Amino acid sequence: MVTSFSTLMDLHERLANALSDSQAQELARYLLGNVPGLPPVVQTLHIVGISVVMASIVMIDLRLLGMAVPSQSISEMISRLMPWTWWALPLNAVTGLLFIFARPNRYFYNPVFGIKLSLLVAAVTLAAVVYQLNRRETGYWEQTLARRISGRAIAGCSLVLWIGVVMAGRWIAYWDYLFY
Amino acid sequence: MPFTEFWEWLQGHPTSQYIGYSWWFPFLESIHVVAITMVVGSILMVDLRLLGIAGLRYTASQMTRELTPWTWTAFCVALVSGLGMFVTRAPVYLENPAFQAKLVLLLLACVNMALFQLWTFRDVAGWDTAASTPVAARVAGAASLLLWGGILLTGRWTGHII
Repeated sequence: MVTSFSTLMDLHERLANALSDSQAQELARYLLGNVPGLPPVVQTLHIVGISVVMASIVMIDLRLLGMAVPSQSISEMISRLMPWTWWALPLNAVTGLLFIFARPNRYFYNPVFGIKLSLLVAAVTLAAVVYQLNRRETGYWEQTLARRISGRAIAGCSLVLWIGVVMAGRWIAYWDYLFY
Repeated sequence: MPFTEFWEWLQGHPTSQYIGYSWWFPFLESIHVVAITMVVGSILMVDLRLLGIAGLRYTASQMTRELTPWTWTAFCVALVSGLGMFVTRAPVYLENPAFQAKLVLLLLACVNMALFQLWTFRDVAGWDTAASTPVAARVAGAASLLLWGGILLTGRWTGHII
């Protein structure tokens, strides 16, 4: 456990070093510094992507919890809304990477960024499980009591995780506030 | 700027000062982001239905009836958290061109919604199940998409100017 954790830290350092003074960094810095209005525009696209992900997944989670959109079927919602998320996540990756390339040290040595990525991996994994099981068997999450209960548990975790991802994303900029 | 003294007083108020110089500001900002993603995301679903692009197996009125309460709830959270940030530097925000543009766009989004509710949505029974929605509904949906995109952009830009 200790070794795997230190390997992870090494990975952070190696990624930060590889990107520092690389051509990718030079290009990202040039674009962000010289194209008028590019930083807020790219950040806005990032927020649009998050809006698509959040609304789709939160609405599915609230539906699984029996709290929202009662007229829409759970399995139909999952198969209709989740593909929007699979398109929005790459948009978020690209728009986010531009900023990471420009200032790798700001992110790879930032514990809040690590928290955000960990929460994101967990949240996407849960969404993929919900999506895949429903794809293999339509109505999977509605069929037995055990599945309905686990669907609710997953929905509750997913809600907390996604809110955590978005909040941590905003706190990346404030991390020195937290630790100093 | 009208009411200059009031905005100065608001900024100088101990509560505003406390928010501005503590973890409350980033906390409110992150809550604000969570709330606006829900506002914009839920509006997007309704807009795409009005444009005849997505969610066509549900009627437009079902869509609006079930999603609008969540939009309004999230909007209230965004409003309260937004006001909490605004008071910390009220006069500065009011002179910020991006913030001014955001207020104008918010106003236009309200007008667009009111017109749609009072006019187009009145005879919704006539086009509720049709995948091809009337031109007025499409215009309202497209305008809403553009306006909310602009609100996100000017909101984000506000932080780059201050």
